[in-house]
Amino acid sequence: MAFKILAFATGPRRHGNSETLLDWVLASMAEEPDVVIEKVALGEVTVNPCRGCNACEVLNRCVQRDDMDVLHDKIIAADCMIFASPIYCLGICAEGKALIDRSQVFRSRKYVLKLPVVPPERLGKRLGIFIASAGQNWDIVFDGAKMSIKCFFHVTEVKDKDILYLLVRGVDKAGEVETHPTARDEARATGKRAVERLREMNR
Amino acid sequence: MDQEPVKVIGISGSPHRHGNTETLLDAFLDGAKEAGGEVDKVVLRSISYDPCKGCNACHKDGVCIIEDDLIPLFDRILTMDVLALASPIYTMGITAETKGFLDRAQYLWARKYILKTQYFTREHIRRHKGVFISTAGTGWENVFSSAFPSMTAFFDIMGFEYHDNIIANDMDRWKGIRNHPTALAEAREKGGKIVATVAGLKKGKEGDQAVNGAI
Repeated sequence: MAFKILAFATGPRRHGNSETLLDWVLASMAEEPDVVIEKVALGEVTVNPCRGCNACEVLNRCVQRDDMDVLHDKIIAADCMIFASPIYCLGICAEGKALIDRSQVFRSRKYVLKLPVVPPERLGKRLGIFIASAGQNWDIVFDGAKMSIKCFFHVTEVKDKDILYLLVRGVDKAGEVETHPTARDEARATGKRAVERLREMNR
Repeated sequence: MDQEPVKVIGISGSPHRHGNTETLLDAFLDGAKEAGGEVDKVVLRSISYDPCKGCNACHKDGVCIIEDDLIPLFDRILTMDVLALASPIYTMGITAETKGFLDRAQYLWARKYILKTQYFTREHIRRHKGVFISTAGTGWENVFSSAFPSMTAFFDIMGFEYHDNIIANDMDRWKGIRNHPTALAEAREKGGKIVATVAGLKKGKEGDQAVNGAI
């Protein structure tokens, strides 16, 4: 059985630094025989922001009809979700935040309606990877983003200990990550470690 | 001669009209108005704009390539004395609409930090006050923590001192801001105080002393 990898490139700039990091991770995972990869660039699909209507607390689904209808099922089916975002103004880009906020339907399912988000046998077997690139070199530059991404993973049944991080600072200009001394190797190692973890978790 | 009124703008970044956060913003703006402020409110969901594309074109000329409602809005904000940015917390962060709005200030960031064509004196920053207004459903104490860094960046770009937070968590337990024991009254009071403070600063030294007392 192959592991289903669902990767989101959320930055508005196609093939920018965070997406490049993502591609490196995916390339290293793709070398393994037991993975199937699907990558979604948010710029190519339509995921509107959450309207905050709270209808999902009753309906168990979102009232909006857009590409989240399809992504919703893919999120549930995935063994590993990867979320790549650039950092803008010390947070996730607006497009990425919209996707995270639309996970409200999972939060309602889990905490309000007390229904399973994934089948019970999948609990504790799902992995998350957060990839981010930031122009600034500050220590705190990823802190805000990590709080929101953790929520996204928690409500989609990825445990805190099962989230891997690939965070690269000081890359701002298009393609700058290519010149980063260690980013490519770190990305490659992250991909390998992720597949290793998936095998352990699903043994 | 009469002093110009203190100009206050409230920006509501909630997708939800008249929800908890906008109600809290309204209380702040009411207080500001009662104190003689000239008050204006913009609801982001009723104007039209795109998020920042990250193209960095503004790093070359300080001009955003996207021509939409945000450019005149940013121009207007720069003429204001008090800027209140209001967003509810969704998934431990400000809403996508609010993030989409403030990321677009990148062209002003570029003017300030790359092109050096925009400069705010310390005095200017002291006389321009920024306030973050927010509510959150959960009672977690750290629920606003990821919003603060983005607000710090935003107010800095706009030349406003990050003056205060007017925030209330645990909305789920209170069943809405209107049932919160202190939040609305506190927001109204802070709206009044900030107008008095800025009016004092505008007046000059005499006002400065009053301000020191108020703070």
